Amino acid sequence: MERYKVKLQVNGETEELDVKPSETLLETLRDQLELTGAKEGCGLGACGSCTVLLDGIPTRSCIVLTAELDGSEVSTIEGLADGSQLDPLQESFMEKGAVQCGFCSPGMILTAKGLLDRNPEPSKKEIIRSVSSNLCRCTGYKKIIEAVETVTSTETTKA
Amino acid sequence: MITSKFEFKSPKDVKEAVHLYGEFQGEAVYLSGGTDLVPRIKLGLVKPKTVIDLKRVASLTRVEDQGDWIKIGSLARIFDLKRNDLIRDYFPVFEASLEATSCESLQMRGTIGGNLLQNSRCLFYNQSELWRGTKGFCLKMGGEACNAVPGAKRCFANYCSDNAPALCTLSAEIELSGPDEDRRLNLEGIYTNEAAKPFNLRPGEILTAIFIPKKQSTGGYEKLRVRDAIDYPLMSVAFSLVDGTGKLAVGAVGPKPYVVEIKTPLRGAIGEAVEAVLKQVRLVGNTVLEPEYRKRMIPVLAERLFNKIMEGAK
Repeated sequence: MERYKVKLQVNGETEELDVKPSETLLETLRDQLELTGAKEGCGLGACGSCTVLLDGIPTRSCIVLTAELDGSEVSTIEGLADGSQLDPLQESFMEKGAVQCGFCSPGMILTAKGLLDRNPEPSKKEIIRSVSSNLCRCTGYKKIIEAVETVTSTETTKA
Repeated sequence: MITSKFEFKSPKDVKEAVHLYGEFQGEAVYLSGGTDLVPRIKLGLVKPKTVIDLKRVASLTRVEDQGDWIKIGSLARIFDLKRNDLIRDYFPVFEASLEATSCESLQMRGTIGGNLLQNSRCLFYNQSELWRGTKGFCLKMGGEACNAVPGAKRCFANYCSDNAPALCTLSAEIELSGPDEDRRLNLEGIYTNEAAKPFNLRPGEILTAIFIPKKQSTGGYEKLRVRDAIDYPLMSVAFSLVDGTGKLAVGAVGPKPYVVEIKTPLRGAIGEAVEAVLKQVRLVGNTVLEPEYRKRMIPVLAERLFNKIMEGAK
């Protein structure tokens, strides 16, 4: 089977990859780059646990072929902190206890990050709509919504 | 994990894409956003030898004001279209259906062309190969009978585009480019009315653009779903009023949107239009909601939508 050369920027690093045409971005991240933060849930784009930022946009990496992405930038949960300084969303998720089993957390945080990057002061309704497009099977949405709200009401993400 | 093996091609223009399709006649698929196609490949519902990605064809993403028409490239993303000023100003039904499509992260990947040409869906069809194999293949998989209605010799899968009913109420047209010719037809003309094979597409044709008559309209879109943040419609109603004539379209209750023209858009006429649709459709138990409930919700959503539009027009 033919393989394809794909160049990606992943969390700021240039990665020159050799991929099968059928390889999904999620598989490339987890199996080739050992970035296991993004999780495989439904595998069909419905649950959002595999969400990463693709050119800044929250994207379900389980239904994107890596071969489609030559020249793109990918950010995963591993690249969100600045060294040991966590992103305000990560801090807020910890502070509010917005994590139960943790499986959905990377996708939730990056979906919220995508929302706040394009709309730093979303309404509660917008936050609910955004995070409920990702599934949390512990059903801990209340704390997750509070965690996102906390970040919008501080000055931290507005800089 | 995708088990089928295919080649990946990334042409730069439509001509090259159509040519590539010709080389792999019958075994190639076009890829736009992939939000419908990649899950279908994963489930083994389609097993292409070649995937032809159209995302590098820059000409397909443009939105143009042509005076009498608004031309929308088929690869324009749902998210970008719902924020387009022309669409917001002229076509409220379309703005509402774009907003109601899935969730924002999928809207940012999914394209309008892919949304219109998404395959029809059924609880007994959109399943893994193993699941489907244990049940025995249905008509849509090349089998002998329907699994949703035991023994039935026709397919009852539902066409679940949110935007198709909306665009039908605006009398939209589409442009197709193929190996032999380019052609333009009414969006409604693309549907076969056969759920097992829902589109009248010739081999190798690409949906390149959607044209909407540039006329001021009022309208809206209502959708029935369980998970409000993301689901496909379990039934939907679109309505537009253009030049004093209304059009009502009901989606996700069969292999195409059911469109009824309403000359005098009064409350009673909406009820008659709904009756006309109900005579054409047969809802069956192939979604997560009972067919009787979905059927009874058609007039409910139609009335709710009509009231909302009349309220807005005051």
